Amino acid sequence: MNKRLIFSLAGAALVASVVGISQPDTAEARIKLATLPDKEAVVVRFDHPNQVLVEEERTISLQKGLNTVDYSWAGTNIDKGSIVFRAVDVNSKVEILSTSYPPGEAALTWSISSPDARSEKFRLSYLMANIQRETDYRAIVSNDEKSLTFRHYFKIRNWSGGTFDSADFITRDGKTFEKGLDQGEAKRVLVNKWEKVSLTKEYVYDQYRSSEGKVMTDYVLKNTKEMGLGAIPLEYGKVRIYQDDGKGTTAFTGEDWGQFTPIGDDMRLNIGIAQDIKVELKKMVNDVENRRGNVYDTNEVDEYEIKNFKDSEAELILVLRVQGEWEMQKDSEGYTSYERIDNETIKFKVKCPAKGTPIKLKFHYKRLNNW
Amino acid sequence: MHRPFNQREKNKMRLLLPILALLMAAPLVAKEELVTLPERDSVQLTIYNSEDLTLVRERRRLTFKQGDNRIQFSWANTLIDPTSVEFEPVGDEAKKAIEVRDTSYPAESHEMLIWTVSCNQPAGYEVQISYFTSGISWSAEYSGIVDATEDNVDLTAYVTVHNHSGEEYENASVRLVVGVIHLVERIVDLAQPGESTGRAWRRGDVEEMERALEDAKDEVNEDGMARPKEIQKAGLSEYYIYTVGGTETIPNGWSKRLRSFEVKGVPLKTVYRLEPDKFGWAFTKVLEFKNDEEHKLGKEPLPDGLLRLYRDAGEGRLSFMGALASKYIPKNEEVKVNVGPDAECTLKEKRTSLKKKDLVFNQWSQLVGYTTVEMFELEVKNFRARDVEVEIHRSMAGDFDFASEDKWEKHDADTQKIHFTLKAGSERKLALTVTTRQGTNSRK
Amino acid sequence: MRWLIPSLILTTLALSGPLSAKEELVTLPKRDTVQLTIYNSVDLTLVRETRELTFKQGNNRLQFSWANTLIDPTSVEFSPLTNADKLEVLDTSYPAESNQMLIWTVAADAAVSAKVEISYFTSGISWGAEYHGMLSTDERSMKLTGYVGVSNNSGEEYEDAHVRLVVGSIHVVEEIAALAGGARQQRMKEAYGKMRDADRAENQKKDIIKEGLSEYYIYAVEGTETIPNGWSKRLESFVQTGVPLQTVYTWDARKYGNYLAKLLVFKNDEAHKLGKEPLPAGIVRLYRDAGGNRLSFVGMVVTDYIPKNDEVKVNAGVDPEVQIKSKRTSFKKENLTFGWNGNRQYLRGWDTVEDFEIELKNFRNRDVDFEVNIVISGDCDVDSKTASTKIDFQTHRFNLNIKAGESTKIVYNLRTRNGSNVRNK
Repeated sequence: MNKRLIFSLAGAALVASVVGISQPDTAEARIKLATLPDKEAVVVRFDHPNQVLVEEERTISLQKGLNTVDYSWAGTNIDKGSIVFRAVDVNSKVEILSTSYPPGEAALTWSISSPDARSEKFRLSYLMANIQRETDYRAIVSNDEKSLTFRHYFKIRNWSGGTFDSADFITRDGKTFEKGLDQGEAKRVLVNKWEKVSLTKEYVYDQYRSSEGKVMTDYVLKNTKEMGLGAIPLEYGKVRIYQDDGKGTTAFTGEDWGQFTPIGDDMRLNIGIAQDIKVELKKMVNDVENRRGNVYDTNEVDEYEIKNFKDSEAELILVLRVQGEWEMQKDSEGYTSYERIDNETIKFKVKCPAKGTPIKLKFHYKRLNNW
Repeated sequence: MHRPFNQREKNKMRLLLPILALLMAAPLVAKEELVTLPERDSVQLTIYNSEDLTLVRERRRLTFKQGDNRIQFSWANTLIDPTSVEFEPVGDEAKKAIEVRDTSYPAESHEMLIWTVSCNQPAGYEVQISYFTSGISWSAEYSGIVDATEDNVDLTAYVTVHNHSGEEYENASVRLVVGVIHLVERIVDLAQPGESTGRAWRRGDVEEMERALEDAKDEVNEDGMARPKEIQKAGLSEYYIYTVGGTETIPNGWSKRLRSFEVKGVPLKTVYRLEPDKFGWAFTKVLEFKNDEEHKLGKEPLPDGLLRLYRDAGEGRLSFMGALASKYIPKNEEVKVNVGPDAECTLKEKRTSLKKKDLVFNQWSQLVGYTTVEMFELEVKNFRARDVEVEIHRSMAGDFDFASEDKWEKHDADTQKIHFTLKAGSERKLALTVTTRQGTNSRK
Repeated sequence: MRWLIPSLILTTLALSGPLSAKEELVTLPKRDTVQLTIYNSVDLTLVRETRELTFKQGNNRLQFSWANTLIDPTSVEFSPLTNADKLEVLDTSYPAESNQMLIWTVAADAAVSAKVEISYFTSGISWGAEYHGMLSTDERSMKLTGYVGVSNNSGEEYEDAHVRLVVGSIHVVEEIAALAGGARQQRMKEAYGKMRDADRAENQKKDIIKEGLSEYYIYAVEGTETIPNGWSKRLESFVQTGVPLQTVYTWDARKYGNYLAKLLVFKNDEAHKLGKEPLPAGIVRLYRDAGGNRLSFVGMVVTDYIPKNDEVKVNAGVDPEVQIKSKRTSFKKENLTFGWNGNRQYLRGWDTVEDFEIELKNFRNRDVDFEVNIVISGDCDVDSKTASTKIDFQTHRFNLNIKAGESTKIVYNLRTRNGSNVRNK
């Protein structure tokens, strides 16, 4: 004699039957089956970059022999092929024989064989669609811009069609928080807070990022223990930056998308334009030389006049680009160091004196073998 | 609204079943005598996954009179190929006593035929009626649970049978054919009334295969508890046949998933690969094992199907890793599961230098040949807390020379590859120089 | 217009049961203070308000709603300023039924009263700078007045608000107006329709305190301001008399067009009695005292942000009393070189040699400075008896001073190599 149980998904239907409101016709059938498993230990896991795994535990009273268990998830969007149904006890003698899928229904039936009458705890794992997640950060930068307090928030919005009465939500880095979440509701939770995180401020003039000679102000955080982070890889998310104004409150100083940052890597955040540093480019020499047939070299001098109107000296990083085959010439000057990042990119560091005293970076190079 | 499924099963229309009517004596119109049909004693389904094709064999016990017996077989509202329906006595005794003299397809119906069977020893005999139908298919699925260290995977294979044939097969024994067979016409087309264009199907192929499997025995578990159906696998010619133990009932419209095998602790290797030919241009994380004995597998080929991987997240909990559609994996073949790029192990390539040399001009001082010397740097960073294996394939084009201090080896004419282990939290830079002769400098 | 103001409802829950069951509504006090930090580079204002709230022991639910405003829901933050160690925000919930409301769950260790700050971004409030320069009759100095104007189209009236203005160009990755969603454009239109200028309404002068913060300057307006929706308000930022002014007549076709532009130049530095802070981007208008307390307009320029120690040039246009004339006085071809194609000879290269004359006339009763820029192209040499500076590879500049009523000529020669005569271009 098959014993037939019916239960449904963690979502709306189940909550309804527990609380005892709505859907009286189906609720009656379930309540009559007193063995309706209570939803135990629901876990919602966000460790996959774009899938959400839901796990729920169900205790089911089985009879000796063959048992049939119906499971349905009408109204929610779960990937039926992804359902993993296992006894929690790895040594359980209970066997799941087969899974049958009825036509046109968000439901399935398990055939379960049990050696005796018993109560067995099962765990159901499945992928559920339409649960959105979002990471964002708040940084409060110290007045001297040497360190910051970094808050990491996790926000979930539930469009899955189900209601989570109470579930453990687990972020990618393993942080767990227990919350309820209605259909359509969003929740934002502080998951991490790091104090005294070291900060490097850079002024960057990059021909790919800057327009009209504007200089970018970047904050660079290193995701390492030494620098006050390094506990987890930092998820992609918006970082809103506030700075302590020295008067007990803060001012918003900019925001940027923080890229995914593994442990050990840098997160670079552009906070805005450094208006007190101006860069003006003049091409002083633009000659052709060494003609061979239709092939020629060029001899070019680019002069960057930099004015730092601040009251103190500042270091400017200039990231300059030249395409094709080229060589920098030895009489280039005005920099403290340079690095050829790749064939097309060169990076100069320039010490800029205070109060608008101009300094010139002379970048002399030859582009070779053009045609 | 949810309704227990068994109610629906009971309400199921039985009318769609092929009807076998035994008509005694001729002429047809005048003295019809309808015999109450015996239940079919057994039914066996052989389902192919490469084609929409299922061979159905059913056995029934019929009583024959001396002389000619007319047997009518009809199959309204099913997807049976009328050209494939065959009648065959079972057993030596029956074969001696009865013989099919002719098969007639009456003009008034496309979904009926009549066999004239002569009998020299009136008695009850067992006969087999076989035919092809479409609408039943099967597919494989795999579910792997990777342990926390990613060193092993518990692999479970499933087969799912889908029945959209218009007919319910009750207590059928099920056999699944893995492999690609040759069909010249689609069964679903042959099943259309009026479209029958005669036998174009090389039935012999299938029958040969069938005979080889006659020995396969159903596994019965009579020890007080049912076990998951044993799925027997046997190779035959270019095919593999999976036989599901016992019998199954699959109502029309339903699908049923059965466990094919379960292997715990299949050794697993993680390799980060850049192999544009196989995995595209991303540096991607690939989980690897082999369908061989060393990996506790290798007993049979693995039919194509969706493989889902989960990671053991501790306390028996799961975390989803990824899914991919796996191709047919022969025995001893490697399985490489691309779980996608992993931000914790990265590869960046940049060109650090470009030079042109050996410029050649023609008589009009136009450049006709030159050679580029390009230097590249590949930086691999492992941010993970464990050692990882890395394999990088790099392809070049044209007439090139490849030079590197690192231990690259030639993969094919245009491709060099390198394989190494990268310690936890470390990085490695590879430098290479590619010299490419262009224009008249090219020797190719 | 009170209904537009974000409202705060405190509900205390004995248990974390269903929301509908055991809510207890607590009447909330008015906001005690409100501070606006207004940005001019993007449409963004940071609003900070403080209130005194009483919490019960256990979980307190605080509902904050902002119907019909332009608040960015993702920016709303709650933080206790006093008794912070006894209060903890457990989560922020955005209910499905309303996108203009959120609920904070705040756990209190004990029944406490605390001052809390609620902050959020809104759009629709902006500010801009304007400058008025009153030139002395000799044009050698001016009185410069800086103003800041605040416009409120946010849909909300801010009463007795502390106002801070941020000078600088912050980076914002998403527009606040877009995050606030809804009928922002319509709102702006309506607001413009009823905009009134509250300029004359000010009856007392307020100091504006300027301080640097990171790459920005913060201008804090002394005291509090009430800015009704749809209004704008202008405040004086600074006044400086006797700012020295220089006049340079400039010919630079690429920057100002093909005429002699009268540029009035001053610097934002101590020598010009300025330089205490950078000058925010805005419109600079210069007027001259035309006598009898009447003004005449001299010129205007829309300036970018002017850092400390940087220069400001205001283009006052054409001055009929100072003239320039340029003409080519000679044109020759020299150094013709020929090649052979079979038995036919053809021209391969040549030089063009041109003489130019620029005449500058000063009809004014004072000495004036000139800056004349000439632009060359190709493989070209410039030769002149008048001293010049190479600005870049194709620009040469003559700087001259011409006495009152006098005139002068700049003569220069260009040799341009063409065809096979070209050496390096």
